[in-house]
Amino acid sequence: MSLITGRGIVKRYGSFTALDGVDLDIDHGITGLLGANGAGKTTLLGMILGLHPVDEGTITVLGHDPRTAGPEIRTRLGYAPEHHTLPPDVAAVDFVTHVAELHGLPGPEAATRSSDALWLVGLAEERFRPMGTMSTGQRQRVKLAQAIAHDPRLIMLDEPTDGLDPVQRDEMLRLIRSVSERYQIDVVLSSHLLGEVEQICDGVVIIGEGRTLVQGRLDDLRAGGAGVVVELDEPIDAVETLARRLDAIGVPTTTDGRTIVVTGDDDVVFDRVRDEVAAAGLAVARLHRRRLSLEDLFLDRLG
Amino acid sequence: MTLTPPTPPPDPDEPSSGVPPAPTAVAVDTGDARIHDRGYRRYDGERTGVGGAIRTLAVHSMRRALGLRRSARHKILPVMVVVFAYLPGTAFVGAAALLPDEFAEEFLPSYADYYGFIIAAIFLFTAFVAPELLCTDRRTGMLGVYLASPLDRRTYLAGKGLATAGILALVTIGPPLLLLIALSLEGSGPDGWGAGLELLWRIVASGLVVTGIYTAISLAVSATTDRKGAAMASIVGIIVGSGVVGVTLAETLDRPNLRVISLLGLPQALVHRIHDEDPPPEWVDVATTPMVLVAVGVTVVGLAWTWDRYRRLTVRR
Repeated sequence: MSLITGRGIVKRYGSFTALDGVDLDIDHGITGLLGANGAGKTTLLGMILGLHPVDEGTITVLGHDPRTAGPEIRTRLGYAPEHHTLPPDVAAVDFVTHVAELHGLPGPEAATRSSDALWLVGLAEERFRPMGTMSTGQRQRVKLAQAIAHDPRLIMLDEPTDGLDPVQRDEMLRLIRSVSERYQIDVVLSSHLLGEVEQICDGVVIIGEGRTLVQGRLDDLRAGGAGVVVELDEPIDAVETLARRLDAIGVPTTTDGRTIVVTGDDDVVFDRVRDEVAAAGLAVARLHRRRLSLEDLFLDRLG
Repeated sequence: MTLTPPTPPPDPDEPSSGVPPAPTAVAVDTGDARIHDRGYRRYDGERTGVGGAIRTLAVHSMRRALGLRRSARHKILPVMVVVFAYLPGTAFVGAAALLPDEFAEEFLPSYADYYGFIIAAIFLFTAFVAPELLCTDRRTGMLGVYLASPLDRRTYLAGKGLATAGILALVTIGPPLLLLIALSLEGSGPDGWGAGLELLWRIVASGLVVTGIYTAISLAVSATTDRKGAAMASIVGIIVGSGVVGVTLAETLDRPNLRVISLLGLPQALVHRIHDEDPPPEWVDVATTPMVLVAVGVTVVGLAWTWDRYRRLTVRR
């Protein structure tokens, strides 16, 4: 069963339609919720949390309707907001403990688990520091710690790498991946960065113009009907000759330097390309299935 | 006793995830000794639900307003206010203990009059607590964090309202209650259990009335602006301004009942009515019914305004 299911979700603010018939199925693992700034990601997260009513359509989270079971759902969800302006004079451990207590943990258990969560995100030594004295990277880790301290089934992270440099971003993404894999906590990661979603996510929902542009398991989306890429260790002339021979037998190609991209059904074109290369006696540097990038998918669906 | 073997050092060839190693066994039990492994793990225990979340929010908010687990500068105002509120009572009890009874009876104020000594402390907390609790949450984004927990807008406001009322009760009910207990122990209290219980009821009712009116006003103002300073100034302005308007209208138009507009004097006048004591001279001609209606009206309108502001609020996430 999907963790989150939505059908025909419509959300209007006055005359402005933020979401216009969004469908989504979010499954176990890490799911990227992608879209340009203003695409409606945060609105959708708010509806998943039961904070905004759905104007039309239905949404189910962990088997419940957020409109009628918001508190029950939020008890088992962790949420890390996008903004960094957490109370500056509060120590990280106090903040995380407080959020854990809000999610129903008894005081002593919340205190223990907040220290454990901060230790997990690499802030064991820093946990007594006021959050106002922390760097952006540390505050992002505090936000992750407060999202997981109460042992949620699902965490929703809104732009968790915002404000981080490339090294910190990679560390944060590895941390999220690790939390998901080690503790079986499912993750919805809202982002406008295709690269980071591609780096760690198992599934993706791309929202644009108020509707769902693409969704599914990342492996399926990238592999679907993509074709084959062959890179030759030969002069350009030989590469172009091979491309013409493939075109002649009905296998459409595009050439980029010494690389030929062949589109079509993977299994069929793979054999034909292999046979033609072998017949021509060409040296192959690399031959692999073509993988669509999220950017390809995104641009393709936007038309 | 058997110890668990130490965790092996990390493999230098393995790429770091930035995460400490996952916990191994939860505990090793070897006779009397138990070694608990440290680390994040799943939680299968009971959860306290929405009621627990409201209680947690209220307690946390009260601690915050009182400056607990915060730096020294955040404790100055709360400590000052509590001292202002309890010092007169302590002094009166000391005087009652040291002075002969005939002097002490002259010297001690009535329980209703005692509010005159602590009204400054009540105003200070009224102006300070709700802005600290509501405006700060909106400015720091904590409101978004709270509304992602089992709390919703209604239960969030319930928790904040309880916290505000709880702290105000510290200075509206606490000092007269202290006076009652201390004087009773000293031998100058009410005669018998019946009189004691009746006085206790009047003290609690008076405190709740004052707390209700000032909590509603301070919540309403704090729900209207995000700026703490502006909220504090507005609360003081509304209370003092209504006092000026009420007195001016009552005296200019010769309509004593118009004094009920004064949020400065109304709560104290109601306390006198609850204690069945003679009110201040200027309130003698004011009828009880308009006083009650205005008190109830201000409380209801203040709370309704607060709810309406939060119902429409766009929460930053």
